[in-house]
Amino acid sequence: MTASQIGSSTRRFGGYERVTGSQEFVADLRLDGMLFVKLVSIDCARARIVSVDTSAARGLAGVVAVVTSDDLPQPVPRFGPVYKDRPILAVGETKYHGEPVAAVVAESKDVAEVAASLVAIQFEELPAVFTVASALDPLSPLVQEPGLRSAGTLANTNVLSEQVFGWGDLAATEADLVIENDYCFPMVTHFAIEPHGCMVVSSSGGFEVWSPVQHPYLLQAILADLFDLPLTRVRVVAPDPGGAFGGKQNPKFEPLLCFLARMTKRPVRLILTLEESFQATRRTSAEIHIRSGFSRDGLLCFQDIESNFLLGAYADIAGRVVSKSNYLGCGPYCTPVARIRARALLSHTTPSCAFRGFGTPQVAWALESQMDAAARHLGIDGLQIRLMNLAAKGDDVVPGDVPADGEWAQSVRKAASAVGWGEPLAPNHGRGIAVGIKSGATTGLSYSTIRLLFDGSVTIYAGTSDMGQGARTIFAQIVSDELGVPIDQIDVVMGDTSVVPFDLQTSASRSTVFMGNAILDACRDIQLQVRELAAELHGTALENVRIEAGGVFISDMKVSIPEVVQASLGRLRGELIGNGTMRRTDIANHPLGGSPAFFEFNCTAFEVSVDVETGEVSVIKHVSVGDTGKSLNPLQVEMQDEGAAIMGLGHTMMEHIILDESGRIANHGALDYRIPTSKDLPLSLSTYSIENADGPGPYGSKGVSEGAILCTAPAFASAVTEATGVVIRDLPLTPERVWRAMRDGASDSSKVE
Amino acid sequence: MKPFSYQRPGSLAQTFDLLSEYGSSARILAGGTDLIVGLRQQTVDASVLVDIKGIGEFLPGVALVDGHFVIGATTDISRICEYEKFRATFPALVEAMETVGSVQIRNRATLVGNVCNASPAADTVPPLAIYGAMVNVGGRDGTRLVPVQEFIQGPRQTALRPGEFVLSIQLPVPNAPLGVGFARLTRRRGVDLATVNLSCSIDSVGTVRFAFGAVGPRLVLGVDRSGVLADSGAPAGDRDAALANLIAGTSPRTDIRGTRDYRSAMLLVLGRRILAEAASRLGSGQP
Repeated sequence: MTASQIGSSTRRFGGYERVTGSQEFVADLRLDGMLFVKLVSIDCARARIVSVDTSAARGLAGVVAVVTSDDLPQPVPRFGPVYKDRPILAVGETKYHGEPVAAVVAESKDVAEVAASLVAIQFEELPAVFTVASALDPLSPLVQEPGLRSAGTLANTNVLSEQVFGWGDLAATEADLVIENDYCFPMVTHFAIEPHGCMVVSSSGGFEVWSPVQHPYLLQAILADLFDLPLTRVRVVAPDPGGAFGGKQNPKFEPLLCFLARMTKRPVRLILTLEESFQATRRTSAEIHIRSGFSRDGLLCFQDIESNFLLGAYADIAGRVVSKSNYLGCGPYCTPVARIRARALLSHTTPSCAFRGFGTPQVAWALESQMDAAARHLGIDGLQIRLMNLAAKGDDVVPGDVPADGEWAQSVRKAASAVGWGEPLAPNHGRGIAVGIKSGATTGLSYSTIRLLFDGSVTIYAGTSDMGQGARTIFAQIVSDELGVPIDQIDVVMGDTSVVPFDLQTSASRSTVFMGNAILDACRDIQLQVRELAAELHGTALENVRIEAGGVFISDMKVSIPEVVQASLGRLRGELIGNGTMRRTDIANHPLGGSPAFFEFNCTAFEVSVDVETGEVSVIKHVSVGDTGKSLNPLQVEMQDEGAAIMGLGHTMMEHIILDESGRIANHGALDYRIPTSKDLPLSLSTYSIENADGPGPYGSKGVSEGAILCTAPAFASAVTEATGVVIRDLPLTPERVWRAMRDGASDSSKVE
Repeated sequence: MKPFSYQRPGSLAQTFDLLSEYGSSARILAGGTDLIVGLRQQTVDASVLVDIKGIGEFLPGVALVDGHFVIGATTDISRICEYEKFRATFPALVEAMETVGSVQIRNRATLVGNVCNASPAADTVPPLAIYGAMVNVGGRDGTRLVPVQEFIQGPRQTALRPGEFVLSIQLPVPNAPLGVGFARLTRRRGVDLATVNLSCSIDSVGTVRFAFGAVGPRLVLGVDRSGVLADSGAPAGDRDAALANLIAGTSPRTDIRGTRDYRSAMLLVLGRRILAEAASRLGSGQP
């Protein structure tokens, strides 16, 4: 028997390898005889490709191939997780800055780089769409040819999708105070420390692919579809990603590498530079117009939201980002009447995709800033206006859908007390508080297989990608408690589609709940087998055998699980195999295809001080409280919260991709795209969990990986407003932007009725 | 990275031979923290790297010779910052040096390299100029001393002639009381390039000198002999006017790190702050 692991801060599986640098990421792996790939792009966003002269590059010693879309099957295959819109290489014209026009394959990385610089591409810059306004303008050029789009009235526009959510009669609703504002959320890059990349071996009719992909089984399915192969002929090996944050969910260059491996009959490898990663994927930016109605005592009357999210040239999964975040556009409040019009717009920019928070930080920036604007106009405290409108457990947040699943006010009160809400403030200091909810996964399917070996040690098979969130550790903790196995006798095998059973994806803070439940189910399977063996062994009925805390109780006698297994299996040894499933299927006619499995709720509060001469903001206190249901590993929850909180400071204080007039990324790379460093951290950062065991995951848990990023920006901005009196509605709040707002006396400019 | 060859001469004479043999296709390698990045990003072209770390004549570390601190071309910034006497003599320069890159970068990067890189935003250059630093340029025919503000002639442009390279930087120990301040503005507190940087000195007769970085193609210097800036009791309006008069010599640009008007405004704000710092150091007898 072992001490309970659940609820304790069990040491991180793989932690030692990560901090000592011995973990092998994809870029650390070498394949015999591999070739190196370098992508060739042009210094322009949208351009007609006039000619590509590869002769100089081909002539360089060590170059094996230089490939353009002309060398690919025609028409050039396209792929994507939802829409098959992304070509393997640019066809005829480039759609965004950095879209590869050609690929060089060479014997070394250096030769590939030099050869890439020798590919001469003649191009003609074309009019392009870089902004929301331009994407909505009917006179703008179309980003995607109508033939690529699903039939319908939108096919001849740059609107990928448009959805309207809502309830109640907006026209008939009155309010004492109506506040109307526009909010901007910038383009942001994921900035995973591990570079994107992949390696491919083409073998007898199929492929082996190494990719730090979040969804190995989706990559497998897309490649099998693209090359018309059975799933068994596409093996995806997915070593643990070194950070992904949504950016490594879906295929980017794996299909190209498959073609190159097939053409050259050699293993091929592509590792992107940080600059190329900027051009591979980004977060979806947004402009949100919002009209909010309140009674004079601060109760919400209505929300009228128009969200325009700017996607890139190919849809990736970004349409889903828009619909899922805007579905909960009214936040964790009781909103009597709502209308949310959400558009996903195509543009000639880096294809955007999922990013931690999945659109919610964008929506919460607008919504929570409105709550503060209303509070200021009504003379109500920012904490009070939230508490009075917050949904209590069981209240509707979207009428007709699942109600609030947590005691959210507990989180708000905890955050308020931790930040010292209401205490006297020094000059130029301010506090702010905000809340956010994100929908957990709506549908999903996770399988797990567990092998209880003869000596009592256990191997867990789980298709989750452990990309820093610590999924391995959580899964081992569950098995340790359920099967009474010491934690150091458990192995967790992940990341190989030829070995590990199917898991839909690693996203949406789902793995603890979805894979965790599948593992719990597999443990139950093994527990039943053990009870059957014990009953047979002791000549008693099954109901007289029970398993508690990993031990077997036969009437009053207690034995261990391995004792039962060994006694039963005997000389031939063997093992027990348990299988578990967590399945959550579609709901017909639901706007999202399914209800949230849980809500990820967070309350964030700040105390800041502002240098009123330079606009620099210092974070004195940063508090984040999550409604976790049950923190299976409190230290890992804290690490997730701290990581998400600091990531939130990035888009709040400094991160934004700047495009020039030709749609090129002007701050392209680490020199001028700034992310928070250790020196930029708050003087104090505290995180807390509210645990009422009211989640759908094992032991009442909920997902926790995104909460602390949801409402960082509005809480921070609210604190800056209290410190300075100025209101800023464009992120990030750079020192210059804060200084300019103070210089211009940018007090609350809300349009008020 | 494009291929290049690598040479590691053992003497100054061999180095000059290599420089004359390869001409402009040769680049000097000391710390390499700018050069290697440039080669990787193909913003720098070089067919030969001449690694000067094996030159026998170079003294390691920092030497005090005839009232001057001499910092050799291969001395890394961390090493300089270890010298207590140097820290006590040039506190504002040390502050600036300790903002260059990160600890790991400073363990490789040389002060001479920071000057030779000739970035308009180099943080060490304003205090070097304020402290009267001279660049000791070596060539086959001998050496010559060039004031740092004349050595850097524009972005990536130095006064080096073909066949020359920098042997050392010389910093005179101030022979009269001097107070010096340094400040920079960045977009974040962690490693960052300066949006503006500036340094100033106040001497015992009330002369105030300013050096402004990142607000023009080369360092902008200004002198105020009116005594107003040195007099902390003078009316704030007069002091601001005198400072604004010096700032008028700058020509900040709008780029992705900051706009022209923000840079100008920050020169005034930070100028006031470092004047106070310099006055305090002058008062305490610390340079």
